[in-house]
Amino acid sequence: MHWLTDPFHAEFMQRAFLAAVIIGVVAPVVGTWIVLRRMANLGDAMSHGTLAGVGLAYAAGFNVLLGAMGAGLLIAVLLLAFSSNRRVGQETVITVLGTAFFAIGVVVISRLDTGVELTHFLFGRLLTVTWGDIWLNLALGGGTVLVVALMFGELRLATFDHVQAEQVGVHVELVQAVLVVLLSVVVVISLRAVGTIMSVTMLVTPAATARLIARTLKQMTLIGVGIGVSVGVVGLMLSYHLDSAPGATIGLLAAAVFCVAFAITLPRRNKHHHRPML
Amino acid sequence: MSDAAVLDVRGVGVRYGERRALSDVSFSVHRGELIGVIGPNGAGKSTLFKAICGLVNHEGSVDVNGVHCHDRVDRMDVAYIPQRNDADLLFPITVGELVVAGRRRFRNWHSRVTAADQQAAAAALAAVNLSGYESRSLSELSGGQLQRAYIARALTQEASVVLLDEALSGVDQPTTNELFDLFAALSQSGTTLLVATHDLALARRRFGRLIAINATVRGDGSPEEVLSAGVLDSTFGSASNAAEMGSDALAD
Repeated sequence: MHWLTDPFHAEFMQRAFLAAVIIGVVAPVVGTWIVLRRMANLGDAMSHGTLAGVGLAYAAGFNVLLGAMGAGLLIAVLLLAFSSNRRVGQETVITVLGTAFFAIGVVVISRLDTGVELTHFLFGRLLTVTWGDIWLNLALGGGTVLVVALMFGELRLATFDHVQAEQVGVHVELVQAVLVVLLSVVVVISLRAVGTIMSVTMLVTPAATARLIARTLKQMTLIGVGIGVSVGVVGLMLSYHLDSAPGATIGLLAAAVFCVAFAITLPRRNKHHHRPML
Repeated sequence: MSDAAVLDVRGVGVRYGERRALSDVSFSVHRGELIGVIGPNGAGKSTLFKAICGLVNHEGSVDVNGVHCHDRVDRMDVAYIPQRNDADLLFPITVGELVVAGRRRFRNWHSRVTAADQQAAAAALAAVNLSGYESRSLSELSGGQLQRAYIARALTQEASVVLLDEALSGVDQPTTNELFDLFAALSQSGTTLLVATHDLALARRRFGRLIAINATVRGDGSPEEVLSAGVLDSTFGSASNAAEMGSDALAD
């Protein structure tokens, strides 16, 4: 039993567990829609690109979370501006913006003379999360879950069939814009705990695993949250005992759960591929 | 059938960049009509439906139930059922959720589905013989059942005009018969249906009125009038091309 309870004794570990639980809930709630809309590439670009805001805010002495949020929103605005060019394609624009903003962050942070290391932002420092971070994440995360709950029907219609959604009065483009803002909020919440690179793991992997199992959207969201919280807590415990990096351990565990779910559901998916046409 | 047009299309044209997909399309449709829209692949049938729904920018005007349509909100009386291949059948949505989505036009974005909405969805499913399918996912439906589920969604939307894009492609004869029985019942109850098809044999047998489209209206009238050699030449390029779309259509 000590194996289970030991990690909870130190206060910094209690804070780390709380942070992991908040991310485990909020990231799959938004990730469900990112996976269904096949926007994982945008999540990846957003998580990397926020490093520019982090670096610039750190250099200027501002709150790095606000910097990350600002960078996320700027990427979203630029994406909308550049996406109208059909010759290049949205996926390409997403990659160009994500890597450009990431490069800005790397350049700025590498020139800082404050002893802060790039890896702190890339992979997070779950064990250094403060109570202030917890309260901020709780407020941002609670707001995010509330917005998704209120817009659940709109998100479902706009994601499944945007043509019909527009026909019955859904503002499809507004729904898309709100989702991009929520995506940047998730990246901000994950930043201190698991870092910019691993935040996309929590955003996409639990939701993608749930996608393999669930039959309905509510099931997908709830299963995603269950997986997110479980891999967050268990991954943190494993990292405590194995003395491994917490963010990366959580990411590896999430990927392992995805692989198991993929293997278990393989026969069912094969059966559906042979659905009758008539 | 009332004399007032439920759908009035005047001078509609659509451009995709440099390419003109439709030009100067005009016709009127009355309450309860069941109309086949024929034309070869790429003739602009889907574009016409999307223009009627306001899903693509167009020239000209579209009036629905006497209302001159400026934006999509004015066109909520029209339901568009896309080609089957356009639907993501693996999306985690049940038949019941799909059908009740038509009620969104009567609610605000933040309102929940009400008991009345659920009743309307149940009634629509009963009308298309899909009662008991509420909790099934779309991937569990056959092609004909999927079309009926979409029609049920149009019924909950209370659309007076339903546009079906290639609804009959890839479905077998019994399913086609079943769908036409449903179309006839809906037509009798006052719903207007426009069904895009390139199957001319089916068009001759099943519709009282046909509209032939190829970039513009090439013919509009009874099957005998529209399936004449002159109209088919102008719509399909040649009568032999048309014959490939349904040889018995030209047999008479």
